[in-house]
Amino acid sequence: MRLRLLTFLIPATLLLLAQASAATAPDGAVQAPGPVAIPRAPDGKPDVSGIWQVLNTAAWDIQDHSAQKGVPGGQGVVEGNEIPYQPWALARKKENYAQRADVDPEAKCYLPGVPRLMYMPFPFQIVQTPKELTILHEYVHTVRYIFTDGTPHPPGPIAWWLGDSRGRWEGDTLVVDVVHFNDATWFDRAGNFHSEALHLVERYRLLDADHIQYDVTVEDPKVFTRPWNMSMILYRRREKNVQLFDYECYGFDWEKYYPYPEMRPPQ
Amino acid sequence: MSTTRLIGAAGIAVLVVGPGGPAFGQGPQEAGSRASASAPGPLERLADGQPNVQGVWNPVNAGSLSLTNPVPQAADFDPTIKPLPSRIIDPPDGLVPYQPWAAARQKLQGHDYAYPTKPEHIDTQHRCLLSGVPRLFTIVPSLKIIQSPGQIVFIWDSYHAYRVIPLDGRPHVAPNVKLWMGDGRGRWEGNTLIIDTTSVKGQRLTYIGDFYSENARIAERLTWPSANSMIYEATITDPTVFTRPWTMRVAQRRRPDEEMWETACYEGMANPDQFLLKSAPGRQ
Repeated sequence: MRLRLLTFLIPATLLLLAQASAATAPDGAVQAPGPVAIPRAPDGKPDVSGIWQVLNTAAWDIQDHSAQKGVPGGQGVVEGNEIPYQPWALARKKENYAQRADVDPEAKCYLPGVPRLMYMPFPFQIVQTPKELTILHEYVHTVRYIFTDGTPHPPGPIAWWLGDSRGRWEGDTLVVDVVHFNDATWFDRAGNFHSEALHLVERYRLLDADHIQYDVTVEDPKVFTRPWNMSMILYRRREKNVQLFDYECYGFDWEKYYPYPEMRPPQ
Repeated sequence: MSTTRLIGAAGIAVLVVGPGGPAFGQGPQEAGSRASASAPGPLERLADGQPNVQGVWNPVNAGSLSLTNPVPQAADFDPTIKPLPSRIIDPPDGLVPYQPWAAARQKLQGHDYAYPTKPEHIDTQHRCLLSGVPRLFTIVPSLKIIQSPGQIVFIWDSYHAYRVIPLDGRPHVAPNVKLWMGDGRGRWEGNTLIIDTTSVKGQRLTYIGDFYSENARIAERLTWPSANSMIYEATITDPTVFTRPWTMRVAQRRRPDEEMWETACYEGMANPDQFLLKSAPGRQ
């Protein structure tokens, strides 16, 4: 009897311990007690293909913020909530915020840049092949390539809206190095910004079949005093027959002029 | 990079439309023989059974300006270069079978394209808006095909346009939804990909003002006679604009499998409205 009780208690204790460690995982993500099955590509790498979307409010403000008219309040995605701006840059960020309705590059329909593109409130689809990941965004039909064939960044300087992304697998984590940016994109609608010296290291790790832990280290010695981190979860869109639609953005009064009146049939 | 590649593509377009060059409707073997990638051979199959047609493609003879009377740009420099035959294979006269009102509209739009005085005279392609289907299969810049289980993806080197075609037999989206690239559903029959596209927006097809309305339905057949050549055909059915369905054909050939780099379009471009003319010759 006692022996039987022990055989019950030991696994139960182990299970409790496992759950306790799950609750205190350092990155705050829920950890399963055992190995979790994740989808894998034929080459054995984790398979991150599918349609994904964030469920946070970072598009409005990557830091903690209260709600305003048209802006959902929410917890930020910046670790520690502090962005280590240099003094001049903090002043510029405040200026950007004050003028955001006019000077936000998103308002001009420009490509929103990386990582902003990843947490816009629109879905995106990852198509994975051994050579590259192609990310198709519903927002302004942006196409982003992450080359995973071991090729280096092309020599710069190159000023791209989305930068140049080269990825490699470290175990089951996809680590992506992104450089060659321009200085024209922001991080959010709250005026957080960077220079063309921006350098990102993104980490994509499947927590299970339907969740990607997405972490970004942001480095820009012209604007910040030290590197800082963002962390969030990408959720798989699991609705039946889910597909991307489109969100075209145009900085002029499209509906007033198109379809071209003479393309319409006679009334 | 993309500019270089664009020039390269244009150069090849010029090369193949010279006197005695391959005419429209040429055999696929000839198109394939000009491809610079691996030798033609039977198409390998992917794990999900799709023929592997991945890579970069572009038209042997594009049709940006006109489908019916495609004047090669080289004709600007060399008057002996003759227009190519119509891209339209049905009806047999090679003309778009417009209803009378639509034929008049097309003519006006062609005139307004040459002499734009109002914002709506500007082709939406020049505003970097998505040109839709089948127009993007007739432009000079390359397109890239990526396949993954249950779908085929087309990505264009210009306008960062893309199109995801599910192959799993799912139903179309609701007809009231209108999408810039339409809503395509595909299936393979041997080496032919058949795509049925609904939910299109009204789009222009050429610079000379050809167009269809949002009531159009587009049936495409992409046939690979070999690993390096593809025949693109699109049949447009639109009872609002045309008297009958009609079909275009544009041969495509494989291009070197280069990385596609960023091609921002709208960003930083001059406002096309500033090029509008103050006056224009009268419409005919």
